[in-house]
Order: sequence, then structure tokens, then C-alpha cells
Amino acid sequence: MSNKVNRRDFLKIMGWGGVGATLAGCDLPTTVTLEEGKEQITSYLVPEEFVIPGVGVYYASTCQQCPAGCGVHGRVREGRVLKLEGNPESAINKGKLCQMGQSGVQTHYNPDRITRPMVRKGGGLTAVSWDEALSLIEGKTGPASGLKGERFAWVTDTVSGHQATLLDAHLESLGSSNHFVHEIINNSVSQAVNQDMLGEPAPHLALDKARVILSFGADFLGTWQSPVHNSVMYAEFRNAPRGVLIQVEPKMTLTGANADLWVAVRPGTEGVFALAIANALATSDPARLDGLPDRLQQLIRGYNIEKASKITGASGEHFVKIAAWLNERSPSLVLAGASAEGHEHGYDTVAATMLLNVILGNIGETIESSGVFPFPQLTARTGGSKDLLDFAKALDGQQLDVVFFRGANPVFTAPDALDLKGKLDKVGFKVAFSMFEDETTLMADVVLPMHSPLEDWGTHVVAHQPRQSLIAIQQPLMQPLYEQTRGFGDSLLTMLKMQKAAGYSDYQDYYAYLRDAFSALPDNIKAGASDIDFWANTMQKGTLDVDTGAGATIAVNLVDFDLPDNAKQDGSYYLIPSARLGLWDGRHANIPWLQEAPDQISKVVWDSWAEMHPSTAGKLGVKTGDTIKITSTTGSIEANVYVFKGIHPDAIAVPMGQGHESYGRYAEGRGVNPLKILALNTDRKTGELAHHSTRVQVSKTGVTLPMVRFQGHDTQLGRKLIATVTADVFERTEGDA
Amino acid sequence: MSLSNILEDWSKYRKTREDGGFHDYEHMWGMAIDLNKCIGCNACSVACYAENNLAVVGREKFSKGQGMHWMRIERYWDEPDLGEGRVSEFNQHGANFLPMNCQQCNAATCEPVCPVAATYHTPDGLNAQVYNRCIGSRYCSNNCPYRLRFFNFYSYYEDSWPAPLEMQLNPDLSVRDKGVMEKCTFCVQRIRTAKDKAKMENRQVQDGEAMTACAQTCPTSAIVFGDLLKHFNPDADVVETQVTNMWRTHQVELGRSSQNKQNPELRGYRVFEGLNTDPCIMFLERVREV
Repeated sequence: MSNKVNRRDFLKIMGWGGVGATLAGCDLPTTVTLEEGKEQITSYLVPEEFVIPGVGVYYASTCQQCPAGCGVHGRVREGRVLKLEGNPESAINKGKLCQMGQSGVQTHYNPDRITRPMVRKGGGLTAVSWDEALSLIEGKTGPASGLKGERFAWVTDTVSGHQATLLDAHLESLGSSNHFVHEIINNSVSQAVNQDMLGEPAPHLALDKARVILSFGADFLGTWQSPVHNSVMYAEFRNAPRGVLIQVEPKMTLTGANADLWVAVRPGTEGVFALAIANALATSDPARLDGLPDRLQQLIRGYNIEKASKITGASGEHFVKIAAWLNERSPSLVLAGASAEGHEHGYDTVAATMLLNVILGNIGETIESSGVFPFPQLTARTGGSKDLLDFAKALDGQQLDVVFFRGANPVFTAPDALDLKGKLDKVGFKVAFSMFEDETTLMADVVLPMHSPLEDWGTHVVAHQPRQSLIAIQQPLMQPLYEQTRGFGDSLLTMLKMQKAAGYSDYQDYYAYLRDAFSALPDNIKAGASDIDFWANTMQKGTLDVDTGAGATIAVNLVDFDLPDNAKQDGSYYLIPSARLGLWDGRHANIPWLQEAPDQISKVVWDSWAEMHPSTAGKLGVKTGDTIKITSTTGSIEANVYVFKGIHPDAIAVPMGQGHESYGRYAEGRGVNPLKILALNTDRKTGELAHHSTRVQVSKTGVTLPMVRFQGHDTQLGRKLIATVTADVFERTEGDA
Repeated sequence: MSLSNILEDWSKYRKTREDGGFHDYEHMWGMAIDLNKCIGCNACSVACYAENNLAVVGREKFSKGQGMHWMRIERYWDEPDLGEGRVSEFNQHGANFLPMNCQQCNAATCEPVCPVAATYHTPDGLNAQVYNRCIGSRYCSNNCPYRLRFFNFYSYYEDSWPAPLEMQLNPDLSVRDKGVMEKCTFCVQRIRTAKDKAKMENRQVQDGEAMTACAQTCPTSAIVFGDLLKHFNPDADVVETQVTNMWRTHQVELGRSSQNKQNPELRGYRVFEGLNTDPCIMFLERVREV
């Protein structure tokens, strides 16, 4: 290093001299002595072990903002967690994090958290002690309560790891099997197809190995499965030799916005599109269809480009081009997401896209077996909207006396047609294990305040594992902010003890349970380390690799399916309740950073909007910023229009996330919730809600309310801010990289 | 003060342009942003909010253009006429995403107009903003061709962090008050920490040791941050970095208002290069298969 004295060093030297001078001149007595003020400044007189004032220390944990389970490193300084970074040791996100993960600290420090247990007294919720809340629960569910097991249910979001084990044990102690897992953003239909055709629900999808990705509405960079994991693989996919991405969907998703070719199709016709591609492939090479049953061969032959073009509304030249890409380059990967799944024939559509994978020889190439997880009791309990419908059905039949809620917010996500609120009203006793006063929590009779994910212990075995499967470790990054909140695992143990379930009375808390569970892990996982070393190493790393025998051969079992011909054209539109990487299904609407983060496509902040194609807007006589009314058979919503060319003229897209009646100061009374006006159509094979199939009428209200958007101009106005080069040029200049 | 500041900065800049080598600099922090990889997801922007104590201003103030996003993602649709002589019915090539943070110009247009020298050039090649000096004339913002300076029209600390949100604030930097201009600092507090640590251990700052929040979180690693000095001064007492390598590979040079590449097909470019602001951020052009 140079010996120059720079300005900063000079100031430092001068600063020390200055301090000396000040101290020497300081003879006035201070009003509070160090001894007297010790109570307030204890942390500096008696610092906690490892705490160095001014120095940030990083601890590993797991992000809980969506079910992907990315590893995080929390920066902790003076006992506070300040920032989350991706954990480079996690094979899921490899040191990266999305905006929702970054906002984990605002969930934790959110000003609207529940800080006390509450019980319903005279209509409203009143703060009480834990003892009072628990004795109420014991009275209604304890061994002396006379509660019959089958009249009890848990309603949760995705849950896995040791929390799932304890939750199962709690259900078992009550003699119940009612666990409804509800996620409105889910892959349930695809999971069913995967299970039927490939024998496993969530094979690993090797985006990084593919040369062509043909995605039917799978927003894998935004809201599909494991977005950060996918993004990391996508970066690899875009390196030379650069893969080509084709996105086929009615409404442009974030992934669609990054496609080389984005193709708008009429909603619900993705399956026909896939079969027409198979047809085009078979035309150039008939051997492609060898080994397929006659019935499927006929089905494929039935959709030539001309017919498919008519049904899907996509130009014929797109089919030719996509087939050519698939012929020229391999391996490829065909994906199906929400817009393909969300119709009455969702299963059939996804099956058609998987058939295309089979024809292209992608099974075992880019679709890899994720193996068998050796601890089935820890695997993720995933769910979708069928569980919501089943739950409503159970309520209808008055089959439930007691319901426990955790994570899911069905009162917000359920369509009005389900009248979940009315049905829940009739349930005798509801308990919410919750951090926030969301719509479901406010209907509960007892509300138990939960730790934030940054204060809590947990283990997570996510449904969508990387090549190297793992258990993700969640550990507290700081002391709880509030005295009265408790961990979810701790609460489950409390519930188990309440039921006098055998084997749990010795555990003082969930931490003790986890320590014990880790000690009990087999030696091949511990790799010879002592218990204490194994625990310490695992906590430091934040993940625990588990061998699943991934990469084994996948046996394909072709399923039969059928696609309806073109849907009726009756002048109505399809309503697409689109998912945003940001507010997600509405659970992040209380995070100010995410409310102020512009939507990636429309650039709207703090509000809802309706996306519309210019031709539709022309027909209705509206422009960007005008307010429209969207009416389904079960209700209507109003939103401002955003006109752009990233949506099919037959579709209107309104993003999910806003329209909370209660969820804290940042979420309440803001925008509209498109889920509310969905019709209760279901996928005919899986029974999942067909959430992209609702038909709506659209009318102009004549009102133009201010629409707050980030950007004034939608084009570059001829300036060279971003230039685009062709892939040929890229291959020439960086092809050897 | 301001005048001498301008003259000093300017003569340093001229000298570097004429002699080359940036001999007066300790570092030259810079970036390379690959638009082939950027997916416009906004993770960088929120990471910046978290790291740099950026105020959430709310819907109404946002509508007046007062959002404080130091790092923002601009999104452009292709021009109506794609050059193919017809207007396309759909955005069939997707969107154009452009992450924009302070370009840390070497010939920064914001610097000479500051009447109090609150914005100046550091020996690290950073365009620094001294909050305590700033009197809020907003000349700098007016003069920034990229619109990447953000003014505190209000005392946001009063309501942007209702308790206990304020506990998340990063103590390594201040919360700016009303009347002060702010902008991307290339996470100068992180650079500072890395430099101090390196100095204590009597070694050079390693590549990746100083990392901006946006580059660290970027899910596709589209943003690369590091020291560019080696690119211009092989004798400089700094390490070789990935970002230097990228600038070199793409034949982009500082100190120019137009690049003179041996291979004009290389993707590196700087936004509004012709304005001669000499930014330290190189973009790599977006790629599409057509």
C-alpha cells in the first residue's frame, strides 16, 4: 500500500487529538453517571458474547416469503437484523435473493404485527394473557373437551420439515386427518400430471441444460415454483451457446417479457398449441411419434397448423418457427404454468405439454428425477385451491367444530361465490396462529401472536428441490421484538402437550425438540461429526444436504387426454387474476417496499390495474388511466386500465395481491381483489379451481381516476438507452466464452 | 469554494484524459450490466432500499415523481414500428429492461453546477454526495441527463419508518433530511468497510470484497461491480477484477465520448455516451433471437 496520507486518515489523526483535547477540557459533572445509567446502556457495559459494536455478523437462515425456501444470510448488528442476503451455500438460490426475500426484514419489523394473544369477547378481539388464551383452547380441544377428531381441522399454507411432523402429530393426537393446505399460487395440476406421467410430482427441471425452452404460461422467473433458483439457472441458459426462450400465454408474465418470442394465445388454447407443435415436428420427422398409442397419434394429427392457428389466434408462422427451433436444437424443455393449468381442461393442457416433452426426448435429459427423499415425514405438504374448495365443502356440511389457521388467508383468497366468510361464521371455534390481522385472523375466536420467521426456528424441505436435495435450516436471527409472541414450533409443542400426546412432554421448547431430532439423524448424514459439531456446522451453513438418488431413470407413463375445441365467442372476456413477483398472493401487500416497487410490466405502484389489448380498448373506447368495470356472474370490480400489447384481445388481466379489507396500514383499502369475482369452475380431472376460466363483461365507467405509474414513456422515443443485437452477433462475439 | 472545486476536479480530469492512467486515483469503481441476463425482476431496487435507508414516500408523492429509488428498472416496449415496415399487434419480443442507478460519471454534469461543492469526485472515482454540505438548490438534479438524483422534499423519517420499522435502518449511513439531494453511492459504506479491512490486514482490496447490494442480490448475476483501475493503469496498486475483464473484452474505454472498438459488434456501450459524461457503468446490449 502507498504511504500517502489521504484526507480520511488525516481526519482520523486529527480526530483523536481532538478527543484528547475535549476530554481534558471536560470538568462539568454529567447529570447521569455511568453507574446510574447502567440500566439503559447495559448492552455496552456487559456486551453479549460475540457482539462487537459496529460490526455486522452474518447468520444463516431460510427465507419464508414464499414456499421456495431460499437460504439467507442475515446481517446482525447490535442485536438487530438489518439486511438479508442470499446464502451462497444454499443450492437453491446460490447467494441470490428476489425482492420479496429482500423484504423479509419489513415483514419482521412491520408496524402492524400482532403483539398480544387475543380472544373474542362481545364481538371484538380483546388482548389477554397466553394462559387465558390457552385455557380457552384447552377447553375446546383438550382431552376433556369431548371434541371428536374428525370435527377438527388445520388450514395452513405450505408446511414442511419438523413443523409438519409436529402438525401431523397434533392431528393424530386428536384423531383427525383434516389438513387443508391452501396456496392460490400453486402447481397442483402440473404436480398431478407429473405424478401420473413421470411417477413423481416435482422432478427437477434443468433450465440450465436446455437449448430451447418452450413455456406455456410458466412464469419461472417470477412466480413459478422456485423463482430465484430458476433465475440462477436461466443466467446459465442465456450464456453462450445461448438458449432460446419462447413463451406462449394470454397475458405477458415477467418470463414472457424476457422471451425471444412471445406468442399471445386465446386463453385456454395452450394445449392445442402444444399439439400443433407436435404435429409440425411429426410432419418433418414422422418417427417422432413412434411408440405413441394410436389414440394420441390421432389427436396430434388432428391439429395441423392451420386449424391450431384458428383456435389459438396465433399466427401460423410462429408454429413453423418454433418447430424449426425445436428441430435444430436439443435438448429442449417444455413447461406449463398457471395460464395453462387454470381451465376446466387444465390437466389435459398440461398433459399435452408433457407429451411434447416426451416426443422431444426431454424426459431424463432436462427433466431429471429428483429421487426419493429419505425422510417422508419431513417433505412438503403442498396444496392448491382444491383444498380450499374441500374446506368450504366441509364447512357446508357443518362437519367442523374447531379450525386452526396458520399462514393461509382463505377469507382473502376465496371467491365471493364460495361465501367462506358466512360459512366460517358458523364454525364454533377458530384459532389463528398469526403475525398480522388479516381477513382470516380477524374471524378467529382466539388469535395467538407468532414470531416472525426471523425470530423462529424451523426446518424446511421444499417441494421444488435443486439437483442436490436439502433440508433448509431456519434459525432466529435476533431476539423476538415482542415479549408475547411465540414460535410456531413452540406453539405446536404446546398444543401436543395439551393433548397429553405421548413423547412430547420432555421437550421444553421447539429448539430442544430440533436438537433431539438432529441427534437422531442417521450417521451417513452427519458424516462422522459429533452431535455438537454437526449441529454447529449445520447452523453455520444453513442447509443440510440429503442424498435422494436424484437423476435416476424416469419411466414415462402416457396418459390419455382430450382437449375441447374452440370455446364459444360470446363477446365476453376471460379474467386473468395474474400473479406478481412482489405482492404474491396478497401476503406481501403490507410491505411498503413492495407496494412502492413498480410492477415489472405495467409499472403501477400502490394500486390495482386492469391490463387490456389496444384493440379491446379501442372497442370499449378507453385509454390507459380510464376506469372500467369488470363484471362476472358473481360480482364486479373496478380498476384503471393499462393498455399494452402484451395481452390477448380476449383477455383482461387484473393482478392479485391488493384489495385487502384488513391487513395493516399499507394494505388496507387499496385496489381490488380479482379472486373475489372468480366463478367456481374447476379442472375436471383434479378438481382444482380453474382460476383463469372466469368469463367477464367489461364496461366503461366514464371515470378517469389518477393511476400512479413509475414511467412516463413506454418507448425509448428513438434514444439509444437499450439496443438489441441478434443472437447471431452474440454467438459470433461471445460464442467461445 | 465551489469554483476552486470545479477547477480542481476539471484539471484532474483533463490531466487523466491527456496523460491516461488515472494516476491520481486509488480505485475506479465501476459496473458492467448485462442486458442479456437482466430479467427486470426489481430485486436490485428493493435490495437498495434495504441497504441504503431509502424512504418509502407513498402513493401520492410517488405520483409527483418523488420516489426515492436510487436503483430503478426502466421498462420499454419496442417502438411501434419495429423497422419491419409494419406495426406489430403484440409485443412479440418481450420488454426492454434497463436497470439505472447513478452512472458515476467521470465528467459528471452534476458536479460543476453545485454551488457549495456538495457533490464532488473522490479519489475512488466515485461521484460523491456530501449531505451535510447540500443546501438543496437541486441544480445537480436538473443537470443530470439520466434523472438519477433524488431530492428529499419532506422529512421522510417522520413517517416512512413507523416503529419498529426504524430498527431496520442501516447505521452505516445516515437517513437524509428534508432539503437534501441523494443518489446511488455504489454502496460507499461497503466499499469503506472493505478498504478498512484490507488496510488493517495490509493487503489490497480483493475482487468481490466490496460489493454493492444490487449486484449481490441480482438473481441472474447481470450486475457486476468492481474496480476498473487496472484496465486503464496496469501499474495501479489494485487487483485484476471481473469487471475490468468485461470492459476490456468489450473494448469500452473511459475518457471517450464515442468508443473506437476494433470489433464494432461487441455489445458494450454506455448510455448517452455522446453527451461526454463518461459514465463508469457499461451496459451489454440486450440479445434476441429473431
